[in-house]
Amino acid sequence: MSTRTVASAIGLSVPADPGRAVTRLAVRQLRRSGLIVLALVASMPALVASTYTSVMADPAAAGSIATLAANPAIRTLFGEPIALDQAGGFTVWRVGTFLAVLLAAWAILATTRITRGEEDAGRWDVLLAGRATLREVVVRHLAAIVIVPVATGVAVAVVLLLAGTDPAGAAVHGAGIGVLGLFFVAVAGLAAQVFPARAAATGTAVAVLGTALLTRMIGDGLTGLGWLRWLSPFGLLALSEPYARNRVLPLLILLAAAVLLAGATIAAAGRRDVRGGLAGVAGGRRPRLLLLSGVGAFAVRRMLRPLTGWALGIGAYYLLIGFTTVSVTELLTDNPALAEEAARAGFTALGAVEGFAATLFALLALPVGGFTTVRVSAFVAAENSRHLTLLTAQPVTRIRLLAAEIAATAGGAMALVSIAGLAVWAGITATGGDLTWLAALGGAWNTLPVVLLSLGAATLAAGWAPRAAALAGSLPATGGFLLLVIADSAGAPAWLRELSPFAHLEPVPLTAVDWTSTLIMITLGVAMGVAGVLGYRRRDLQG
Amino acid sequence: MNDLALRAINLTKRYGRFTALDDLCLEVPAGEVFGFLGPNGAGKSTTIRLLLGQVRPTAGRAWVFDSDAADAARAHRSLAYVPADVALWPQLTGAEILRLLACTGPGVDLAYRDELVQRFALDTSRPARAYSTGNRQKVALVAAFATRAPLLVLDEPTSGLDPLMEREFRIAVAEARDRGQTVFLSSHQLAEVEAVCDRVAILRAGRLVEIATIEQLRGLHRAEVTVSYVGAPPPGLELVPGVDTVEQVSPGRLRFSLIGPPAPALRALAAAEVTALAIREPNLEEIFLDYYGAAKSTR
Repeated sequence: MSTRTVASAIGLSVPADPGRAVTRLAVRQLRRSGLIVLALVASMPALVASTYTSVMADPAAAGSIATLAANPAIRTLFGEPIALDQAGGFTVWRVGTFLAVLLAAWAILATTRITRGEEDAGRWDVLLAGRATLREVVVRHLAAIVIVPVATGVAVAVVLLLAGTDPAGAAVHGAGIGVLGLFFVAVAGLAAQVFPARAAATGTAVAVLGTALLTRMIGDGLTGLGWLRWLSPFGLLALSEPYARNRVLPLLILLAAAVLLAGATIAAAGRRDVRGGLAGVAGGRRPRLLLLSGVGAFAVRRMLRPLTGWALGIGAYYLLIGFTTVSVTELLTDNPALAEEAARAGFTALGAVEGFAATLFALLALPVGGFTTVRVSAFVAAENSRHLTLLTAQPVTRIRLLAAEIAATAGGAMALVSIAGLAVWAGITATGGDLTWLAALGGAWNTLPVVLLSLGAATLAAGWAPRAAALAGSLPATGGFLLLVIADSAGAPAWLRELSPFAHLEPVPLTAVDWTSTLIMITLGVAMGVAGVLGYRRRDLQG
Repeated sequence: MNDLALRAINLTKRYGRFTALDDLCLEVPAGEVFGFLGPNGAGKSTTIRLLLGQVRPTAGRAWVFDSDAADAARAHRSLAYVPADVALWPQLTGAEILRLLACTGPGVDLAYRDELVQRFALDTSRPARAYSTGNRQKVALVAAFATRAPLLVLDEPTSGLDPLMEREFRIAVAEARDRGQTVFLSSHQLAEVEAVCDRVAILRAGRLVEIATIEQLRGLHRAEVTVSYVGAPPPGLELVPGVDTVEQVSPGRLRFSLIGPPAPALRALAAAEVTALAIREPNLEEIFLDYYGAAKSTR
């Protein structure tokens, strides 16, 4: 009190609560991406639910659902189908997991970006020299992030209610989505306290997400290991069974885990050093001089570690798909009615190994397109943080600098796509299916034009509007995929659907490659890339 | 090779309506140690980024020896650069960064580099994440001095160094000069600039206000003259051109400031019985503050 009296007496401005300014800072850094995620996650169920036209309405439905639910492969890949006879249940099964993953991924990236990322860049040094403590700053940032999953959960529940689905189911599903978001905010928050670098924190949290997803898939697929789902956030989400049993206990467990992790995060923030983590920075080490001989080699070197992570995730997922392919296709061949229903639900030609593999290969463009976007964004970030400054002062043209990055990224994408193809081939072959490795690779490679569009769009943005690189790069793959799903669900006009690159992908290896579309997409991707490189050559470097 | 290491003609950079650098014309002959001074925000770093081709000029051109500054691959074959705020790839150790810069740079004297690592007491086994500001600066300095590039562009290279390391820096600059390398040094350490530079340029609010040798600058600026005399004071001293602020310090003691050649003032003093005469030349700091003060009053 006396401080304030003195301060006002000599004309100093001392805000009563410095914490509010910190909260405002955190919110400012989140509002744009947070609103996008909120809108996406809330609007998708609305679309699917409102256009639900009794997919399972015919008399044979009950039997079909039972058959579908009994198939371990279907459960592995798409989750356990429950309450498909209701719009709400169908919506949860169709887009629930996808939206949960989307929200979880945003929660992780946003949390590590505005906490460890800001601290790593040294921007918290000034902040923490003020009256706010490290613990308070961390708490306020986490609190700001938490607004988004909470609002998203509420929005999902409201949207499903407005679509006329069962209120209890809507509430349970909305709560599940929200609590899952909270859990991953807490995971990323803790990782950001443990590791003194943003990349390590993000990587660890993403690994938790991948493991959680795989655990749920295995738990769903193998009845004997069903208990595994109690260990996975996605499993707990499935166990809440919205629109069927509407169980609250799994969600309470997930919430308890999130609270526990958040508590650990706050405790860790209270006892660690600023710019330090619970895991210390390595002292000295012997130099590893491999891949430092030029900008091209260095681009490969910087990519290798993240590429390994992406390869593990994508490889594991597609190996699982390979293992389940034979079982799913046999089920659908034996049940023509079911195959028809699957076709109406958007999965055509699943009755043949080739068709099933092709459908899932198309999804490959999402993660691999994401990989190229992340790499180009990392290059732009390196420019902003001035890590690139010394290299740009070397006798190296800007074209070569960016081209090296693009070439390394394209090589990495090629490797990821090939790994997916070979993983599917290995899985199918191991379970006695019949698919040549060349056919599998062909199916995987067929998605490369979409990946190239992502890389081209991200490069174009890097050259002309570097701040938009991440958004631009995610438009062709993620945006195109969402557009196709929305257009299909809402019965949108054909031209709108045709805007999505996925509308032009043939189901290879079931059918032959559509070379016209492929060449058009490649030309577009290359043209955007070249335009981006030209823009990068003439613009001012940032930082 | 051209005998000008750096040349800028009408170099201008605007960001929207803000003019960061206005019509800069500058020539730095090969072999010179050139100081580049100016208050914060005067456009020093913008100039350097333009010379390096990192930002593109709104108007004008710049050359590094014979190459257009925009042609980075060619121009950078003859220069090495130390940025003002050195950011290094956090996961690489000092040794790895030196290796990367050596492999991509204009050629490096490995024996001299190892010697510099010793002299700057740099632990190259630590990852850059663990380096302090000064250590990051040392990595960039070692990499730059170890090149045989004929031009070294140094942007506030010693702001994070301790006095011991700053001494090493001055020695390294002298060695570079002895090898015939040109040094373009932007700095706020005026004593350092005074000690190592042949010529300096002073930038203010994006404009070049002075470019001269340090000796010439001294001539252009007020020296402080103190005269002791017996009897009557020298008459009409106030009217002598170049003499200003004549001040009676004590009985028989005058102090005044003097700009330009001292002959007219000395002739005026000859009329009095001068017992002692002291002329103190301004140091660079006073010269700089003179310009800076002028900048503040004209704003």
